Amino acid sequence: MISARGLRRSFSDGEGGALTVLDSADLEVAAGELVAVMGRSGSGKSTLLHILGGLDSQYQGDVNVAGVSLRGLSDTALSRFRNGTVGFVFQSFHLVPGLNALENVALPSFFGASGGDARAALERVGLSHKASRQPSQLSGGERQRVAIARALYARPKVLFCDEPTGNLDAATGAEIIALFESLNAEGLTVLAVTHEERVSRAAKRVLRLESGKLVPA
Amino acid sequence: MTFGALLRLVKLSVRRDVRGALSSVFGVSIGIAALVFFVALGLGIGRVVREKVFPLDAQLVEVVPSQITLGSILGGGKIDQDTFERLRALPGVTAAYRKMNVRVPAVSRYDGDFFGTRLHMGLEVLAVGVDPELVKNDVLMGDFKDPAEGQPVPAIVASRLVDIYNNSFAPNRGLPRLSASLAAGFQFPVEFNRSFVVATRPGPVTAATLQLVGASDRGILAGLTIPLDTAVRLNKASGVDFETFSGVTLQADGPSRVPELVAHVKEMGLKVDEQERRWAENAGAAVLLTTGALALLSLLICLLAAVNIAHALSASVRVRAKELGIMRAVGASKRDVRALIFAEAAVLGAVGGAVGAALAIAASYGLDALALSHLPQFPFKPDTFFFIPPWLPLAGVGLGVLASLAGAWWPSRDAAGIDPARTLAG
Repeated sequence: MISARGLRRSFSDGEGGALTVLDSADLEVAAGELVAVMGRSGSGKSTLLHILGGLDSQYQGDVNVAGVSLRGLSDTALSRFRNGTVGFVFQSFHLVPGLNALENVALPSFFGASGGDARAALERVGLSHKASRQPSQLSGGERQRVAIARALYARPKVLFCDEPTGNLDAATGAEIIALFESLNAEGLTVLAVTHEERVSRAAKRVLRLESGKLVPA
Repeated sequence: MTFGALLRLVKLSVRRDVRGALSSVFGVSIGIAALVFFVALGLGIGRVVREKVFPLDAQLVEVVPSQITLGSILGGGKIDQDTFERLRALPGVTAAYRKMNVRVPAVSRYDGDFFGTRLHMGLEVLAVGVDPELVKNDVLMGDFKDPAEGQPVPAIVASRLVDIYNNSFAPNRGLPRLSASLAAGFQFPVEFNRSFVVATRPGPVTAATLQLVGASDRGILAGLTIPLDTAVRLNKASGVDFETFSGVTLQADGPSRVPELVAHVKEMGLKVDEQERRWAENAGAAVLLTTGALALLSLLICLLAAVNIAHALSASVRVRAKELGIMRAVGASKRDVRALIFAEAAVLGAVGGAVGAALAIAASYGLDALALSHLPQFPFKPDTFFFIPPWLPLAGVGLGVLASLAGAWWPSRDAAGIDPARTLAG
C-alpha cells in the first residue's frame, strides 16, 4: 500500500548549512496494516508523513501510495490525491472555525471529493448528535473525532496520523486509539507517527526513525 | 472547487471579519461613488452644452458664401438660385434650406401691455428669412409663410434666446417669464430700413407687424426668423440684393456623410460655417477635460482602495494560514486557494461598487434638489446637472470588482504559496 525508497529530505539550518532529517529512508507498509513510526522530537517523523501524504514534494527518492507514484505529480494531481486517496489527522485537530462539525467533515467535498457521507462519517466516530456544533463548542477529544471523520469522509485508502493523541488526556487518547484500531480492523491502512508509547502499543508494527533512517523498533 | 463551495467559504470569511470587510467595502465605495458622481456630472453638463447651449444637429451643414475666393473674383462664391440647386443635388443631401438676411436695418418700438406688464421699449431688430420647411416642426400657430397685405409676419425666436430672456433679462427687469407656447401670438411693430445706430438705405421705410409663432433651435440666436419670401419682398422693396442667399442649410442623410459633403461644398468655392460647431467642440472639450481630471482623481481613490484591500487581505491570509493549510491538506490546489482569495476580493469589490454607485445616484438627486431650491435662475439652467446612463452604475460595480481583484493579486499569491507541511506541523 505504501512504498518509499531512498527518501532524502534536507532543510536549511538558517546558517548556510543543511539539516538532513531523512537520509535514504525506506518504508514498506502492506494494505490493512497499522504501523507506528516513533522517534524523538525533530527526528523527521512529521516530514516523513508529509512526504507520504503528498503535502511535501521537495524530497529525493520514490514514493508510491495506493498505486499512485507521487514523484513529479503536478500541484493539481497531488491535490486530487490528498482529496480522495489519503486522509490526515493532526495533533492540533485543525478544524475550520465558523464551520460546524458536519461542515468541517464535509470540507473535502468543497474541493472535489464526491460520494462521501459527512453524517455517516460523524456517526462512525460517535458524534452525529453534535453535527451542528461549532469547533469551539466541542471538547478536545470531540474535535479530534471530527478531524478523524473529516479524514474518513472521502473513504481514503490510507490514514496518516501525526501525533494524534498529543493534545489529549489519557482517557480521551485511549478512546481515539481504540477508534484507530477499529478502523484498521475494518481494513483501513493506518500510519501514525508518534512519540507516545500508548499509540505504538496499538500498532501491529513499530518502526523507529533514527539518523534519518527507518529501522524496526 | 464548485461555485457553491466558493461562495460558502467567502461568506464564512466575510462573516468572521465583518469589520475588515466593511473597511474594504467603504474604501471601494468612496472611490466608485466619486467616479460615478463626477462622470455623471460631466455627462450631464455635456448634455446641457450639446442640447441647450449649442444645440447642433450633427446632420446639418451650414453653407455660407466665401468672403474672398478666386470664385468670387470670377463672379462665383455667391449663393444664387443656381448654386442652391447645385448644392441640393450634391450626393448625400436629403434636404436643403435657403436663408436670406433682411439686408436693411430694422427697429421695433413697443409701448403697451406685455403679458400683464407695461412695456415701453425700442430696439434694433435683426431678421433672417428661411425656407419654411426648416422650422415647420416648431411652428405653433398658423402657416409660416409670407402673409397677405395687412396681415402680421410670422416670426420665430431662438429657443436659446427665450432661455436667456427667462433666466437673465426677465428677472432683472421684472418682466414675466415666457414659454414658446405662451409667447406665441404676441404681436409687435417693426419698421424696416430704419435704425437707431446705423445709416439706412435710400429706399422707403416699410412698417410691418410681426407675430411670434414659436421657438426653434434652428432659428438665429440674436434676432428673428421669418419666412424666406418675406425677406425677399422686404429686400426688394428697400432696393437691396434680393437674389442671392446669405446661406444654405444642407441636411445630410447621416452624420457620417457630413465630411464628404463639406469637401464638396468647399470644392464649389463656398464656405462651411463651423463657428458654432467649434464653440460646441471647445465647450465639450472643456467639460471632458474637467470631467477627466475629476475621474482621474476618483481612480486614484479606487487605487488607494485597492491598496487597502491588498493590506486587509494580506493580513487575513496571515491570520488564516493554518486554515488555508488544512484546506490544502484535504485537497485544495494552489489554484483553489487563489480563487478563494480572488472571490473574497470580488465580493467586497462588487458590494463596494454597488454601494458607491448607489451613493453617487443619491448624491446626484440631492444636489439637483438643492440646485433647484437654492441656486438662482440662470440661462440654460438644467432640470438636472447629471446624466446617469444605465451602463454607468454597472461600470462602477465592474471597476470596484477590478480594483479589488488588483488588490488581491499579491495576497492570493501569498496564500497559494503557503506550505501546508510547515503550517500544519506541530
